[in-house]
Amino acid sequence: MTGPSALTLAGVLILLTVVAVVMRPRGTSTVDFYLAGQRVGVATNAWAICGDYFSAASFLGVAAAVYATGLDGAWYAVGFAAGFVPVLLFVAAPLRRFGEFSIPDFLGRRLGSEKVRLVAVGVVQLVILSYLVPQAVGSGITWELLVGSGLFGLSPYATGILVSTAVVTGLVAFGGMRGTTWTQAVQFLLLLCALIWLAATVVGEGFHYGDAVADLSAAPLENPADDGALATEQNALHPGDPAVFGQPGARYGGLGQFALIVTLAMGTAGLPHVMNRYFTSPTGGAARTTTVWVLCLAGIFYSLAVMLGTAAREIVPTAVADHPWLAELTVDGVLRVPEHALPVLGRIYGGDTGMGVIAAGALIAVMSTIAGLLLAAAASWGHDVYERHINPRATQRQAVLAGRITTLVTACAAAGLGLTLRPETFATATPSIVATMVTWAFAVAGSALTPVFLLAIWWPRSTAAGAVAGMVTGMVVAVAMFTAGLFAAGGLLREALVTPTLVAAPLAAAVAVVVSLRTSPPPDVEKSWLIMHGTAADRHAERLARLVVAENRRRRADRRQRRARG
Amino acid sequence: MEDDVGAQHTPAEVDATFRTLRRVAVGYFVVFLLAVAAFPVLSLTLDWWSQARLAGGMSPGFLVAAFGLYLFFAVLGIAAARLSSAVEHRMLDGTRDDGPAIGPDPTGEHP
Repeated sequence: MTGPSALTLAGVLILLTVVAVVMRPRGTSTVDFYLAGQRVGVATNAWAICGDYFSAASFLGVAAAVYATGLDGAWYAVGFAAGFVPVLLFVAAPLRRFGEFSIPDFLGRRLGSEKVRLVAVGVVQLVILSYLVPQAVGSGITWELLVGSGLFGLSPYATGILVSTAVVTGLVAFGGMRGTTWTQAVQFLLLLCALIWLAATVVGEGFHYGDAVADLSAAPLENPADDGALATEQNALHPGDPAVFGQPGARYGGLGQFALIVTLAMGTAGLPHVMNRYFTSPTGGAARTTTVWVLCLAGIFYSLAVMLGTAAREIVPTAVADHPWLAELTVDGVLRVPEHALPVLGRIYGGDTGMGVIAAGALIAVMSTIAGLLLAAAASWGHDVYERHINPRATQRQAVLAGRITTLVTACAAAGLGLTLRPETFATATPSIVATMVTWAFAVAGSALTPVFLLAIWWPRSTAAGAVAGMVTGMVVAVAMFTAGLFAAGGLLREALVTPTLVAAPLAAAVAVVVSLRTSPPPDVEKSWLIMHGTAADRHAERLARLVVAENRRRRADRRQRRARG
Repeated sequence: MEDDVGAQHTPAEVDATFRTLRRVAVGYFVVFLLAVAAFPVLSLTLDWWSQARLAGGMSPGFLVAAFGLYLFFAVLGIAAARLSSAVEHRMLDGTRDDGPAIGPDPTGEHP
């Protein structure tokens, strides 16, 4: 590792540790540890949600997907950004107003069933693990590029996974939701700054977006194949024709585009680490406003990521001659691993410091998402399983300890799975292995959790039996379709199988509705409705906050008066 | 679950608000789905969508995927949030003496 890269990385880690220490939980209660005392403001929460959501798949994966497949790669960006539209319309405000600790907690209380809670815990853990593994892979890739050597005889890839997982686990176990909220907010701002810096530098060096798209679209799109040479991508929309960078068809047919966006858009509302953040908002109205902020920030972030993927495709081939270190990373000017696109661009324009900034950004993206996922795992195991079923008489201290131990176990499982996967193995099969693996998590969340979640919020006839049937159906169908898709030859069938939400979610919803109509809803549904869809809790919280603000002002004024007299 | 905070609204008031909010949410969601579904349809049916060159050298399809859809999501989100909040204010908070919060939201830890 060079001096500037090491300094950048060390600086980021020190900053995050300081933030986690300063913003650690003030009390030892589970509300403090899991929900940051439910006092996180709109801007802070929006930044933290972005830090949580913009993972390695967003930072490395979107640019990689655009780099490898052109316009079709941009569908990942569109899908990731689109995910917050259903969240805003259907989930944010009522979810916060109901006010629980986690998705399983919400479903268990709303439907009055411990069985629903436990099934939801199982689905949530599957989603969390599916999401954690690509983050681990992303951290391994970044360490390989940034540091280039391993510790204690391990490979650079393995070292990256183990170091980033260990650091984040420590920060989360120590900082809880309050510390994690602020580190994620800082991480997002650093991430956005890194992306803006790279975009500004690339444009300042003469990159013209429109011209680049036109140039790249003038020739067929080529990528490294299994035999090591470049091969022309085939057009999925017009079979027999070569794919072109600026036109759709390099990866997906018409159905595939739509299915990918639906999978990503519906999946966001079922992501436990993102939904848990809404419980930290002070009111339902604040949760809704937070989502609007997130939509705007996501637009800026993803449009920059798509532009930089295009820039890498245009710039790297011509840079090989001036930068000999690119030779081992490329085949005839095309990167072997698409996820290298942004760090390579950073090194071309900023030298080792530039690569350090981008690689640190990638590590930040990975770490902030891992942090959110670990907290979500801790909340579902610690609160929904340990406090409810294993030790119902647990003290607050014991419950928080259970959450901390859970973060450690979940982190070890994800790191272990990440170590068994190598991104090069999948480079010819997917536009970006990191983005593709995250899509699996979205598929399970969107198929199993989102339909049940939406019905529980918007349909008073929802029952516990219906929710269990819907979650199980969605999860089984999504996993079965995904598995079948891995072995399918291609074409329309494969497109439908690898993005299963289009089929699995309606099926799960239909099963949930049919079973619900045959069983009885919980007796306190009217009370739940008053809380979820009324604004009394919001107004109560606002009045309370106004009183606190007024009291603080009065005390400050008193202190000033005493000082003036003294 | 928050304790008994809903006691200040009648079930009928909340039910009417819920139905209105559901109509708003479903309406905006249909617009969202139509916009997202329009892209592949246009890609399959209209050569101009993929092959014409507009700003610089980008096709209309690339422009929409690179910038347009994010702008659309943000505008849709702002409009939906404003309408939902207005519905809640008019149908629930507007009926109360103390009225809605005016000015900066005092809740939360502002950055």
